[in-house]
Amino acid sequence: MPSIAAKGRSYKKGDVMFGYYVDLARRRCRQNLSMASLLVLTMAIGIAATMTALTIFGALAGEPLPGISPHLYVATMDAREAVEKDNADYAQPDSYLALRDAKAVVDAHRAPAQVALAQSMTTVGKPDGSVSDQANGFIVYGEPLSILGVPLRQGRPWTAAELAADAPVVVIDSKLAEKLFGTEQALGQSLRMGSKTFRVIGVTAPWKPHTVFLDVRRNQNNPLGSDEQFFIPVGAALAAGVGPLTSGECGEGAPVVSFQSTEVSSCRWLELWARLDTPTEVASWRAFLVGYAAAQHAAGRFVYAPHAAIYGTRAWMALNHVVPDDVGLNLLLAGAFLLLCMVNVAGLLAARFLRRQVDVAIRRALGASTRTVFVQHLIETGLLGLVGGALALPLTWLGLWIVRMQPVAYADAARFSPGVFAALLLLSITVGLVVGILPAWRACRQPPALQIKLA
Amino acid sequence: MHLAPIVATLRHHKLTAALLALQVALACAIVTNALFLIAQRVDRVLVPSGLDESALSIIEVNDLDAGANPLSVHQTDLAALKAVPGVEAVAIVSHVPFAGSQHGTGVCANLDAVHAAIKARGLVAGCATADLYAGGPGALPTFGLRLVAGRAFTADEYALDDPGKSIGSHAVPAVIVSRALAQRLFPQHPDQAVGRTIYFGESGLFHGQGTPIVGVVEHLHRANISNDDKYDQSLLLPEVPNTGNAVFALRSEPGEQARVIKQAKASLLKLRPQRQMSADSARSYADIRAAYFKGDRTMIGLLLAATLGLLFVTALGIAGLAGFWVQQRNRTIGIRRAIGATRRDILRYFQAENFLIVSVGVVLGVALAVLLNAVLMQHYELPRLPIWYLPVGAATLWLLGQLAVWAPARRAAAVPPVVATRSV
Repeated sequence: MPSIAAKGRSYKKGDVMFGYYVDLARRRCRQNLSMASLLVLTMAIGIAATMTALTIFGALAGEPLPGISPHLYVATMDAREAVEKDNADYAQPDSYLALRDAKAVVDAHRAPAQVALAQSMTTVGKPDGSVSDQANGFIVYGEPLSILGVPLRQGRPWTAAELAADAPVVVIDSKLAEKLFGTEQALGQSLRMGSKTFRVIGVTAPWKPHTVFLDVRRNQNNPLGSDEQFFIPVGAALAAGVGPLTSGECGEGAPVVSFQSTEVSSCRWLELWARLDTPTEVASWRAFLVGYAAAQHAAGRFVYAPHAAIYGTRAWMALNHVVPDDVGLNLLLAGAFLLLCMVNVAGLLAARFLRRQVDVAIRRALGASTRTVFVQHLIETGLLGLVGGALALPLTWLGLWIVRMQPVAYADAARFSPGVFAALLLLSITVGLVVGILPAWRACRQPPALQIKLA
Repeated sequence: MHLAPIVATLRHHKLTAALLALQVALACAIVTNALFLIAQRVDRVLVPSGLDESALSIIEVNDLDAGANPLSVHQTDLAALKAVPGVEAVAIVSHVPFAGSQHGTGVCANLDAVHAAIKARGLVAGCATADLYAGGPGALPTFGLRLVAGRAFTADEYALDDPGKSIGSHAVPAVIVSRALAQRLFPQHPDQAVGRTIYFGESGLFHGQGTPIVGVVEHLHRANISNDDKYDQSLLLPEVPNTGNAVFALRSEPGEQARVIKQAKASLLKLRPQRQMSADSARSYADIRAAYFKGDRTMIGLLLAATLGLLFVTALGIAGLAGFWVQQRNRTIGIRRAIGATRRDILRYFQAENFLIVSVGVVLGVALAVLLNAVLMQHYELPRLPIWYLPVGAATLWLLGQLAVWAPARRAAAVPPVVATRSV
């Protein structure tokens, strides 16, 4: 079997001489440096644009509470009562329930854990009025900390008895405690919310889901959400005049439809979530809700057929367009841009490889198989892709930095992480190999004799 | 120019020529759609609110402890704001477009339509959805709304809200509508809307109580931007909001705005030091609008950058390939020159070749552009691509191709005939 020697090593026919090919690729790039840099730069720009868009999309479209949100389900039904039956804007059953319905479902205990909540924002201060601040938090019926996995640093959640008795207790996060009392050790302290004084019974770590999925409607245009700084039981909150951020669906003739209203008795304003671990639990909770809603409809409270349904976290986020349309559009645009860059590079590579037909023909005549010629060319484009990826790294970093500077709600999602780096590496090698396939295939299919003759 | 020899030559470069045409097709499809997206966003950002924006400032106060009748507190505020030097007009209003809050209602042109709408549980002909704005005395001139028919409200038409009641919940003696709403409600006689009676809100839709239109304004945008044709359908009520949360509209010379805002805020805080006023509770309307559209502005910038980047990459690709071909055909060019072709012929040859490849790409690209638009329409709220965008996209790519091939073609034309006599 014939063998050739390169760089002091001997190769058998058909061997893939990796080191030699790398060396060949390097020489060729040096021969035509401007073309090589054009190829690399084009790939780098395409990869960087895609990585920037992918990073933001990935940060927004991931699980909002890893390990917890996949088991959470929200209830929806057409719970409209007579007061709002002619609301022209009503499109499909939403997630807002009246307090009495939310209470009834939670108290029926048909799921391992349930909670009804509404986003609120209110002024929280010391009882003497010396320090106060606006804080963001949830008005809750049920026990929120365990179902949402909010880490408690001190104290305890409220008890069922406290909830039932509308006891003025509150759980706050350590940042709010720090701000109000100068220390995280706020257990037993009193603070003022609305018109009443509340006792701090628990202090949590700063907590928010990665993306908004609880009470999405009151958190629109804020896909990353903000820290939830307090949890307050619903009865005590309403008694103190602490209401939800917006009143919800109240229908015509409701008392007040404005910011932080507590006149919510005739409104649907609480969202009901349950943790369901098995398909059986999912089915039985759904069946219970369908039954409950049908009973309310039969009793004449719900005016329309209720169409009760439940949604998992991801489905609910998709339905409510939590990931802004712009982010998806950016990803699409970046993908199209990368595709264009790849076609561009493939075209240039094809021209570049075909100009070397003579080299290829000589190698073929000396015994290189079609396969080794193909592999040689792929190694060259793979290397170009890798160099493009290395160049794309600072470009991606720059792109993310530019996005972070933008006044958009998702700017904070544009952060570089090790995962991004790994994805970038993978993407650049893939891009390098994919663009090379067609030109390499074309190059290795030259009949050697003809080419040598032509030369 | 004979195209036959060009086509014959290209048959030897099938792969490269095909890839180049594909690249042009992709660029054409993406650029056409990107331009359309940009135009859409620009339209959004530039949509008129109907207000005289450059002279307007908005101040919000939040008095949670304003007592049983918050308006009494805010009447004092109003007097204090009037006293600020430079303030030409001031009014208490419910909200302004592009600031977040929204009050919607159904509106019907007559009672029959009201009954039909209630029966159909939705909109019927003769009814429309619209936004309600409420404003106390002076709201119309403070906003700078342009009346195109009828008159402003008279002093005796203003109603005070009951404390805590939402706007539009009780009857008012008069209403001013936007021209777009008048056209929607009275398609036959849009110019004769003044004097007609319309039905809206709780009083109109539930109790059948009509309200006469006294005036029509040119524009009054709804509180939020929408992609449909109902964006300019609004009503202005002669009604003074009465809640702890009050919005004041101030009018001053554009140059004076910064100072007026600062002084107004200071005098409001002096009246009630305990009230909450955050940093953005007193802003010029221009700032409010800019904040509302910041996402769109970012997106316009991004789309523009992407379009330019795309065109740049395409131009580089075209020029790179043309450069290769010129090098490769050096000898052939020399022979052509030696047997009588002029420099101009060589230049024309490469230009025609580029035109041919780009044309194939453009034909494919136009089809791809329509396809891409269909995909975008399916996933995003986007209208159909107007047909005239297609020739614009095509022309862009033709022009780009000719620009990109110019330098390599010039280089080809400069190849001297003597090259023919040399061997490679």
